[in-house]
Amino acid sequence: MRIRILNLAFKNLRRKFVRTLVLSLSVAVVTGSLLGATVFITGMKNALKIGTYRLGADILVVPEKYEAQAKSALLAGEPTSFYMDRSVYDRIKKMEGVKRASPQLFIEPTSFTCCYNVKTFLIAFDPDTDFTIAPWLEKHLKRRLTGNEIITGREMPVITGDTLPFYGTPFHVVGTLEPTGMKFFDQSVFMTMDAAYRMAADSRTKAVQPINIPRDKISAVLVQVTEDMTPDRMAIRIEHDIDGVKAIASDQVISAVRRQLGGLIKGIFVISSVLWVLALLLMSFAFYMIVNERQRELGLLRSMGATRGHVFKLIIGEAVITSLSGGVVGLVAGSALLLSFQGLIVHSLKLPYLLPPAGMLGGLVAAAVAFSIITGLISSVLPALIASRMEPYEAIRKGE
Amino acid sequence: MIEVRNLVKTYRIAGQSMRAVDDATFTIQDGEMVSIIGHSGSGKTTLLSLIGGLTRPDSGEVKIDGVNIWSLGDRELSGLRNTKISFVYQFSSLLPTLTALENILLPTAFGHVRQDAADFGMIYLEKLGLTDKRDSYPSELSGGQQRRVAIARAFVNNPRIILADEPTGDLDEETEQDVIQCFKDMNKDTGVTFIIVTHNKEVASRMGRQLRMANGILAENS
Ligand SMILES: Nc1ncnc2c1ncn2[C@@H]1O[C@H](COP(=O)(O)OP(=O)(O)OP(=O)(O)O)[C@@H](O)[C@H]1O
Ligand SMILES: [Mg+2]
Repeated sequence: MRIRILNLAFKNLRRKFVRTLVLSLSVAVVTGSLLGATVFITGMKNALKIGTYRLGADILVVPEKYEAQAKSALLAGEPTSFYMDRSVYDRIKKMEGVKRASPQLFIEPTSFTCCYNVKTFLIAFDPDTDFTIAPWLEKHLKRRLTGNEIITGREMPVITGDTLPFYGTPFHVVGTLEPTGMKFFDQSVFMTMDAAYRMAADSRTKAVQPINIPRDKISAVLVQVTEDMTPDRMAIRIEHDIDGVKAIASDQVISAVRRQLGGLIKGIFVISSVLWVLALLLMSFAFYMIVNERQRELGLLRSMGATRGHVFKLIIGEAVITSLSGGVVGLVAGSALLLSFQGLIVHSLKLPYLLPPAGMLGGLVAAAVAFSIITGLISSVLPALIASRMEPYEAIRKGE
Repeated sequence: MIEVRNLVKTYRIAGQSMRAVDDATFTIQDGEMVSIIGHSGSGKTTLLSLIGGLTRPDSGEVKIDGVNIWSLGDRELSGLRNTKISFVYQFSSLLPTLTALENILLPTAFGHVRQDAADFGMIYLEKLGLTDKRDSYPSELSGGQQRRVAIARAFVNNPRIILADEPTGDLDEETEQDVIQCFKDMNKDTGVTFIIVTHNKEVASRMGRQLRMANGILAENS
């Protein structure tokens, strides 16, 4: 049988259980909110990265009046419909600086067509020129989409082999995209433009609420620029050359979101820092008191052979146990809160969000643990130093 | 062997410097039992603290087995306190968070660990009549019982010197006799040196040698 210093630390903490609990919780709040916020922001950045990669376009050209709708369709997957002449595509395709261009149709389906609660957004692409869905098709389906075949986003409650009716036309699900965090992809149904026009034409006889999309209408043109052209310049050129269109550079949308995120991050950072400083002050003060009220005990330990190092270790140990247990509680509580409320937050912020990959999450969790340990260390290093520097006899006398 | 040479410890109180220990010189052989008597405030506790490495003297030296303890670093000095010197105090010195047995074993947390520490602790609890209190916390023990546990703790690392500062101050006469007898037995069995500060003349007279302290000045009492 042997008494260990860590043992002593545990027993001391248990003796003052309420105090330990309060200190622990203060660290829990800081660690939990910091971790939750960091995971959340990382998730947004992650989604932006994956989403823009998935989109693959440098510029999105839409009818002039629909810039806002187009942006909210892209970022928040808000279903929308708007149309312009196909001639826009024909002109853009021939412009200098355009590497590739492809038209798309955005169709907002009538309610009751499908899928209960999930807002569905129909996107029709041109298989001959498309570069958004094409990479996925190449990798997973290994052939082109034909006839009434559709690809669905990850959040659509359907599986390959299902049949979904839109405007009276049944469509066959042949695949599901990987999750991107952008509702534009995750809640959408992708079909060929040909199928979309046919569906619209047939809706007059088949659907309760028919839809009219003539074959010379498109919703948007996706553009990739050549290497010697920047998206910004190309966007200006397109708007200059073609009347009635708005050219949205996707990196501008992204940087706008990043700015918005930046504000959010700053806010969270400021709040967390304040919380952290408060927790540090609380802990430091508490440990200063602890050292003070236990002077005699510490002096006695010294008289029994405890070195300065032992006393230092004891105080630091108590602080780190307190802050680490708080950190773990905060970690668990923070994750639980994040998981239960992330849907709500994402919905109200109208920004893309995708939980970061496991490796990164692991890193963040490790960082949170390290953070709580460091909090304990910082707040107790001075009291521990004071405690270890006391002359044993003075400590014993003053503790009376 | 303890050799003390010209030991001085001064305190500053309200701007005045006051010699709590004033030029003390003496030698104590291994296995001696020495008592120190003197009025309150005469410097007895200060002297014990200087000998035991708890407070640094202003000048002079304390040699234990030929080593000047105040030339040692913190580790060595702490090691010395852990293995060679033990203290018994006039106040309750048990840790409230530990049971009686754990308190006895406390010095083993800081270095020297004897394999039979727990057995040893039990033997001492028995010797001091506290076998059934091994798992009691200090708050569940009487003052005298606490003192006896502290005495058992002083023995656990097999020290060569025990410095006892009024160890029986608040004990009833019978318990006091037990404790002193325990010290004497220990001294006879293991040859451990005792320096005992006491106000009790009868206790002092039972020691082999008496020192007297007055206003920081130490003298043989014969
Ligand atoms: N840390 C200190 N600071 C200032 N003065 C001190 C300190 N320690 C002791 N003294 C003073 O030194 C003198 C000797 O004190 P000490 O405790 O050694 O006396 P003592 O003989 O043990 O007394 P008692 O019998 O009451 O325990 C006293 O006057 C005391 O006030
Ligand atoms: Mg005293």
